[in-house]
Amino acid sequence: MRKSFIAFWRRNIAFCKLGIVTNLEYRFNFIVDAFVQPILTVGIEVLLWLAIFKTAESAQIGGFSRESYLAYAVWAPFLGRIAISWMYESMMVEEVGSGSINTVLTRPISFFEYYLSQMMGYKLITTIFSLLIPITASFYFDLPVQYLKIPLALSLVIFYLFLVHTMSFIISTLGFFLTRVRSFTLVKNLILWLLSGELVPIDLMPAVMKKFFLIMPFSSGVYIPLAYITGRADIELILIGFRNVSIGLVIAGTVSYFFWKRGLHEYTGTGA
Amino acid sequence: MSFAIEANNLGRTYKTYSKKEGILNSLKGFYSREYTEKIALQGANLQIEPGKIVGLVGANGAGKTTLLKILSGLIYPTSGTATVLGFEPWKRQNEFLKQISILLGQKNQLWWDITPSDSYALLAKIYDLDLIQARKRVDELASLLHCRHVLDTQLRRLSLGERMKMEIIGSLLHSPKVLFLDEPTIGLDIVAQKAIRDFLETYVKEFKPAIILTSHYMDDIAQLADQLLLMSQGQIVYNGTVDEFMQSSDLKKKLIYRFTNSLEEKEIIFSSAELSKVLAQIVAEGDITDIKVEEVNFEEVIHRFLAKEHSVL
Repeated sequence: MRKSFIAFWRRNIAFCKLGIVTNLEYRFNFIVDAFVQPILTVGIEVLLWLAIFKTAESAQIGGFSRESYLAYAVWAPFLGRIAISWMYESMMVEEVGSGSINTVLTRPISFFEYYLSQMMGYKLITTIFSLLIPITASFYFDLPVQYLKIPLALSLVIFYLFLVHTMSFIISTLGFFLTRVRSFTLVKNLILWLLSGELVPIDLMPAVMKKFFLIMPFSSGVYIPLAYITGRADIELILIGFRNVSIGLVIAGTVSYFFWKRGLHEYTGTGA
Repeated sequence: MSFAIEANNLGRTYKTYSKKEGILNSLKGFYSREYTEKIALQGANLQIEPGKIVGLVGANGAGKTTLLKILSGLIYPTSGTATVLGFEPWKRQNEFLKQISILLGQKNQLWWDITPSDSYALLAKIYDLDLIQARKRVDELASLLHCRHVLDTQLRRLSLGERMKMEIIGSLLHSPKVLFLDEPTIGLDIVAQKAIRDFLETYVKEFKPAIILTSHYMDDIAQLADQLLLMSQGQIVYNGTVDEFMQSSDLKKKLIYRFTNSLEEKEIIFSSAELSKVLAQIVAEGDITDIKVEEVNFEEVIHRFLAKEHSVL
């Protein structure tokens, strides 16, 4: 038992390192994904909020100040980048579609575990590098950010990543039945963009929608951790976030298990 | 006798979508699709002992790869049973996967962005091997394949031949008891092909794994295979040794000749007993200026046998 536990960690740390090494190999892709893309999004969102406050009649919107929204605009794209897995999802989809998955299927590893650990390795370096920007910007512009709350908020994002990965796994298993499933990824990412609160803070939604968004586990990716570190919410909401993600994981895990088992029956070993 | 691989009445059918030409049929296919069933493998029976190399030969679409996929656990069969080292392959239990290896000549199985040494370290962790022992084994295998100098070069920067050697080391690192080799010499030059064949021959003598080898190069099969499986249209049409196969063939001689006033060389393949008859027949056709008689090689016999089977089935 102890031996297999050690072997499990040894293997997964190795996958994690593989994720880091492979992504640093493609350094320009890494820079664009970790920095350029979120910086551009921050630029757009900051301009949008500045324009909204300039034309607003009140100094507050939805009970929060301009600085509070600017803090949200600066942090949301970076948390959003951490809390999404488009790159690994497309790799998983490609593996199933092209038959490269054969390499994984004939080795004593699980497809889920193999990509989860690689993604976590990649997210580790993305988090370390890309968070430097919102932290620096928050210091420089004196934005309302409670820095001591960042570790707990990030741990919720990391936990949420397990759910994101499970959804990516489900989409990739659809490849066993449908071959081409890129449009599913696109739709899923758009839905998560909205439901996570990256696009618009959930506080601004009508009460019914806000309640619905907070029941869903997806707000744990951006809105809840960000509301916590910017003082919009307290620890209770973080705990709700952990609970919601746990429920989401049970549901998504069950669905993914079913699709995986069915998918393997359908699989024709493409490309071999 | 306990067999490393056993299959009884193994079969696999694929469901394929068939669409007629044109945009209208594409639109029609959007709401109503016609599916047809294609039998890729049927009634396959085989038994393979440990330490034997089985050459699996057949034309494209004969069912070779489907058989390999089932036996390596990649796909489920639609009928029949099979065991590999006592396991049902498609259940893909870790104990089974730790004892087999599959090498697909047209696919990379090592990691493209890292060096082979790094890949082997990763494989050692996947197969839960002792790292020092694994390193020692890589050293031994690389020495046998004369490729130690490229172990620390990124895989994507290696030539095809070097890459294939690296893939072979990767597939043998955990000392598999069963090895599936699908076109291991494809695209390689003659020197690299021979190096890999010689290596496999030495390796099997020493470590005694059961190997199923598919190749379109009959030299691979002729040099390595103890047992020959010929497949045609999803069925095993011959199962025996290479020597038995050659002896059983009644087509043993080839007569190459040229008529006077013609530059074109013609040939006839026939059984030894028919030499006089064949000679009489071509002499009757015209003046012969050049003639020679040769032994038919393995590849030609296989081709003719499979062509005959194809027309019969």
